[in-house]
Amino acid sequence: MRRRDHIVWLAGGLIAVAATRLFQDAYSISVVNLVFIACLFAASFRFVMLIGEMSFASAAFVGVGAYGAGVATTLLHWPFALAMLVGPVVATLVSIGFGLIVLRIKGPYFMLIGFAFAEAVQIAAAQIQVIGGPSGMVGIFAPRILDAWMQSFVAAVVVTALYLLYRLEWSDFGRLLGAIQNNDNVARTVGVNVLGAKVTCFAVASFMAGLAGSLTAFVNNVIAPSDFGFMLANFALVYVKVGGERSLFGAVAGATVMVLLSSYSIVLGASNELFYGAAIVVTILLMPQGLAGLVEKIRLRLMAPKAVRREA
Amino acid sequence: MGGATSSLLRTSGLTKRFGGLTAVSDLSFDLRSGEILGLIGPNGAGKSTVFNLISGFTKPTAGRLELFGRDCTGSSALTISRMGLVRTFQHGSYMKAMTVRDNILIGTLQRLRGPARRKCVAETAEMLGLTSCLDRIAGSQPHGIQRLVSIAIALAARPRVLCLDEPLTGLNQTEVGGVLGVFQRIRNEFGTTILLVEHNTKAVMAVCDRIVVLHHGQQLAEGPPLEITSNADVIAAYLGPRHDR
Repeated sequence: MRRRDHIVWLAGGLIAVAATRLFQDAYSISVVNLVFIACLFAASFRFVMLIGEMSFASAAFVGVGAYGAGVATTLLHWPFALAMLVGPVVATLVSIGFGLIVLRIKGPYFMLIGFAFAEAVQIAAAQIQVIGGPSGMVGIFAPRILDAWMQSFVAAVVVTALYLLYRLEWSDFGRLLGAIQNNDNVARTVGVNVLGAKVTCFAVASFMAGLAGSLTAFVNNVIAPSDFGFMLANFALVYVKVGGERSLFGAVAGATVMVLLSSYSIVLGASNELFYGAAIVVTILLMPQGLAGLVEKIRLRLMAPKAVRREA
Repeated sequence: MGGATSSLLRTSGLTKRFGGLTAVSDLSFDLRSGEILGLIGPNGAGKSTVFNLISGFTKPTAGRLELFGRDCTGSSALTISRMGLVRTFQHGSYMKAMTVRDNILIGTLQRLRGPARRKCVAETAEMLGLTSCLDRIAGSQPHGIQRLVSIAIALAARPRVLCLDEPLTGLNQTEVGGVLGVFQRIRNEFGTTILLVEHNTKAVMAVCDRIVVLHHGQQLAEGPPLEITSNADVIAAYLGPRHDR
């Protein structure tokens, strides 16, 4: 990463956090929180895509993050900082065990196991009475001091997490993930521990998914197993596809646009799922590289010399 | 490291069966330090299976594999590559969506850091004539360049033994001449020992010190190029009578 990138991130992050202060009514604040959390989840989902896989298990890790926060706050009465981090840490540990077994397989098989895992975790959560069974948990509150600042706090945490993911993607580790996605045999033959790199990638993404879950718990104050089913991972896939999977900013743009549009569609009485399905069909047909690809196309066209444009 | 003729790689009775099919049967040969050894044979002779066995991508059914004096029978591809044996693949042995520079960088990741890595990339690119296309996407380059990128990735890992699986396929005569020169330079400048699987017999005869001929998974002959071209069994099974004249 160049120095300019760090400055852009710092400036962009500060503007994003400051912008959350513009929203003061309850509905706007909830939408802002939803947007930032969706951005983090989309970025986490996309991070696994760097190794060429789609992890529907990430929905389960959001759930683990949320329940971690719920248990730590309401049952164990742990301090807020600890309660916020316990879920992501547990999600990371679970993902390492899961990844060591499952990341040996690829493509549709990995996807199906992820789907089954998400469903299994959801069913298990609904069976455990101490964490509320099918009704879930209530009363997961952040400290009172954050009441007026929650949207800014969520924004700050998400921007920091996105920055860390961006740095990782542009590091040697990120290059390694790109190599594994492109041709894992070549990576293996030059001495790269492919399984180790895949598990690390999966663990980082799961930590971020857990963090998204933890934030969800503190923002909504109420969680239930049905919030963390397979459909949640489908939403993340839509965010990434609509925004464009080639860059982190694509995932962020996709999450922002889709959450804002779906919030509007609820007002219209439309079904969320139907809306998301239509969005992915439109994206695939009209802009296969997503919003980020569309922006890049427009930028290249504007930057092309006039003569070239005339010829085109 | 051993002397000039010490064995870096030794297979003894190496055998691989896939169900009822014996792909490689009782194969025994040595790869000596500093040599370029050719492994030739008709399609289906078992050359690629031998490569997979040597590089740890396939486990042998029977026999023994010794690398740098250590028994490596059944070792994983990761263990073998980290010991210093790096291979290329017959098809697409590079990362299409990445730049040529990043492709070569992947070869250095386990070994070097910082400026040493950049130097290694520049040196490797220079040796293979890739300097002018370092910032281009590898998948968008002509076939000849893509072949060189595959070799560059493997070479950037600075292996003691470099196994090249049909690196000349699809190259024109001029490109073949250039790549053969590169093989000599790799051997002379880095002291790398090369095991070469190739169908271009003319090129193999020109560059290899010794040749092992496979036929139906069995070793048909072994020796210097002149001896191989005059071997009646090899002529009958693979080279054809024109090579006898």
